[in-house]
Amino acid sequence: MKIFFYTTYAFLLFCFPVHAAEKFLDIKEVTSTNGIKAWLVEDHSLPIISLQFSFKEAGSIQDGATKQGLAQLLSNTMDEGAGDLPSQEFQKILTDNSISLYFNSSRDNFGGQLKTLSRNKDKAFELLSLALTSPRFDEEPLARMRDANMSRIRSSMGNPDWINARVFNDLAFAGHPYALNSGGTLTSLGTLTAQDLKDFKNNWLTKDKLYVGVTGDITAEQLKTVLDKVFNALPAQGKKNEVQKLELQNTGKTYLFKRDIPQTIISSALPSIDINDPDYDALRVMNYIYGGGGFGSYVMDVAREKRGLTYGIYSSLQSQDYINLLDISTSTKNNSTTEIIQIITDEMNRLKNQTVAQEDLDSAKSYLIGSMPLSLGSTDKISSILLGLQMDNRPIDYLDGYAERIKNITPQDIQKAATRVLNPDKLLTVMVGNPQENKLYTNIESLPNVE
Amino acid sequence: MRLTLKRLFLISSLILVNFSLPAQAKVFNATNFKLDNGLEVIIAPNHRTPVVTFMIWYKVGAADEPQGLSGMAHYFEHLMFKGTKNFAPGEFSRIIKKLGGNENAFTGQDYTAYFESITVDNLDKILSLEADRMSNLNVPEDHFHSEKAVVIEERRQRTENDPEGLFAEQMSSALFVNHPYGTPVIGWMDEIEKYEWNDVKKFYDTWYAPNNAVIIISGDITPEIARPLIEKNFGKIEPKTLPPRIRTDVPKAIGETNMILHDATIHQPSVSKTFIAPSFKNDKKDALALQVLEQILSGGATTRLYKTLVVEQKKAISVGFSYNGTALDYGTINIAATPAEATQDLNDLMQTVMDEIKKVQIDGVTEKELSDAKQQLIDSADYARDSISGPAMTIGYNIATGATLDDIENWPEMIKTVTAEQIQAVAQKYLDIEKPWLRPAITGFLYPEEKKPEQIKPEQEAKE
Repeated sequence: MKIFFYTTYAFLLFCFPVHAAEKFLDIKEVTSTNGIKAWLVEDHSLPIISLQFSFKEAGSIQDGATKQGLAQLLSNTMDEGAGDLPSQEFQKILTDNSISLYFNSSRDNFGGQLKTLSRNKDKAFELLSLALTSPRFDEEPLARMRDANMSRIRSSMGNPDWINARVFNDLAFAGHPYALNSGGTLTSLGTLTAQDLKDFKNNWLTKDKLYVGVTGDITAEQLKTVLDKVFNALPAQGKKNEVQKLELQNTGKTYLFKRDIPQTIISSALPSIDINDPDYDALRVMNYIYGGGGFGSYVMDVAREKRGLTYGIYSSLQSQDYINLLDISTSTKNNSTTEIIQIITDEMNRLKNQTVAQEDLDSAKSYLIGSMPLSLGSTDKISSILLGLQMDNRPIDYLDGYAERIKNITPQDIQKAATRVLNPDKLLTVMVGNPQENKLYTNIESLPNVE
Repeated sequence: MRLTLKRLFLISSLILVNFSLPAQAKVFNATNFKLDNGLEVIIAPNHRTPVVTFMIWYKVGAADEPQGLSGMAHYFEHLMFKGTKNFAPGEFSRIIKKLGGNENAFTGQDYTAYFESITVDNLDKILSLEADRMSNLNVPEDHFHSEKAVVIEERRQRTENDPEGLFAEQMSSALFVNHPYGTPVIGWMDEIEKYEWNDVKKFYDTWYAPNNAVIIISGDITPEIARPLIEKNFGKIEPKTLPPRIRTDVPKAIGETNMILHDATIHQPSVSKTFIAPSFKNDKKDALALQVLEQILSGGATTRLYKTLVVEQKKAISVGFSYNGTALDYGTINIAATPAEATQDLNDLMQTVMDEIKKVQIDGVTEKELSDAKQQLIDSADYARDSISGPAMTIGYNIATGATLDDIENWPEMIKTVTAEQIQAVAQKYLDIEKPWLRPAITGFLYPEEKKPEQIKPEQEAKE
């Protein structure tokens, strides 16, 4: 869950190499004549090329409070006409050549993905280049995208998961750009202009912030030319990023947004540690055991398998540029909220106070190492791995040594990670629903950053 | 998990828009064979990475449930993870996780499917576990009860928490009169509570048999390697005498149905219209023409409906036309639109969409539209192979709903044969409002809560 936290990094939860000695993935670094870098996995088994890219620090954190939704609106409008091609003509060439081109924005970054059949690659790269360097931002498609976003917001306003995310962001990140609505508000979207989009693009979609991952039916030599053709015309230098790190806000508190529905949606979070922290690998294994692993994880085992309280309960590590969290999400009938929150806490204490059973640790390591090849099933998945590694500033052989590092984790490492992170008194919890004990919670009356 | 595919309509567009290849080539180059006990097997090789997706599709789904026990096929799917004579509850999942695999299952009206994705060296183990639960299921009583609670929570999460979910369920019920597709896959709340172990056991004993299942393995595998492993694990399981799958017919109807929901949680009005149409199984030729029609009307930002209603006329924010033919008995055509202005008359909006469809009924489609749409559908096959699990899913959905492997492999060739005349003909036949095929469509209207007079503030009244 947590739509608001989607990151290119999520894949790493599912991907680790088989044998430390072998290369897990044959990644080449390619540098174009003009110095644009990309990581490439060449694979000619299918006539398909996938290219993904991202501009670091260029996400919705740069929107500002009065222009919430700007990065997202830009991502929606970049492929709506470029150069001499108005929106409909541009889209028609994409469709007729079966080229898939999308831009996307997350909180931290602005990115895009291109997938094409080899026979249409020249056209595909040309369209991408046009979209990146000379998007038109014509009034008609801009208004259409703005309206579509406002409609999406209105459609989401009744969705308890979405409400939960809005309230959670507002409380967890109070005072920080993360607290704002990356999808925009009904008011802010209405004020955004083509000039806003141009400014954002010129300020943030620049070569110094660019990362590229490519997979499929293309050679390193061919890619060099493509990189220059597609990206070289972008400005060299972007604006200086001024967003600061933050700590989780409102820890130790529980909030309720009351809704008359039969099931309460619950999300909780704890402050966590950075991906470069020496305990991070252990934390990853610990998270799998606690709630990241789905069936068989501690919280799932008690809350679903033993007590039938929920359809699902999961924890995950959210490693963002400015904050690190461990979060937990679940839903349960209104009169079981106290019981399920007790389980969330109890299972944390269990991992803190007891040494983890060797069998549980072995199973977790075995899954995390053994499942790694599953992440290589498609050109898209591989490109997104290549991109994620670079965005996280990992070395090119990072995955090759991963299995070994996971293997070496001990029960003591798990307990140490648990002690550092699993502190129930710091839980921030947000509920949407109608729990019977609702007097215990701080009530939230109105939806922040929506209207 | 333990997914319920209540939105089968959506899935079809993923699948059917998803395959084909250059001239004459097969889509997946798959091989099929059958064991002596009737178990069908399909192998779709893809050697890019040492991983396979194993799927087993049982030809039984929600539409085969006994009366009064709706949702049992889905509930039963949950129980398949709850222990056998040889393994404790939950052990199935734990073993697979420990091997680095992912597992899950889902239930539809016509099938129940179980799958694992895992490195190919573990395939034998997967086969032994799946063979074990095909005949040795043994669920302890406490798990039988706790899982019922889980399914009830699942229903709350997917449906009861969301008025639009309940409304969609109600629309299906009204459309599929006298037919099991009108009952939601997850079941009605009251009936979920009523399952008894004996009913469940009987369901298992009746339907779970090698001669009522299809295995599909896609990924880094060949038929030569797979066949002996499958023989070893499944070959000794005895076939059963299967009862016929009795499916009633939707009777002819004459009255048009409009369904309306006003709800405080709705902030974006919308309108949709659903027609019954033939499934691929029941009318291959018309189904193919409907697939091309779908692409022409709704296959992207430059096709008829979006271009006219959203880009040019500014009457809608979104509009869609989808045909789903992956079902044993009936397919559906769904049209949906969101108005540009909250105050817009939704009847007018739907009428505008139907006017566009009328143009196809009267004038047909152009040769250019036809060839573009076909090329787009045909190109999508290359993309369909760019996945380990995708081919198994695509093959499974189609086989389980009555297509043959040849149909799937030759789908691009069949798409090429569709003519403009056929498209015009299916638009006339299945989208006619005055002379409906089988029964009139159902139209659903979603509105924000109706403002009662006393809720309107005096100053607003004054303004009027």
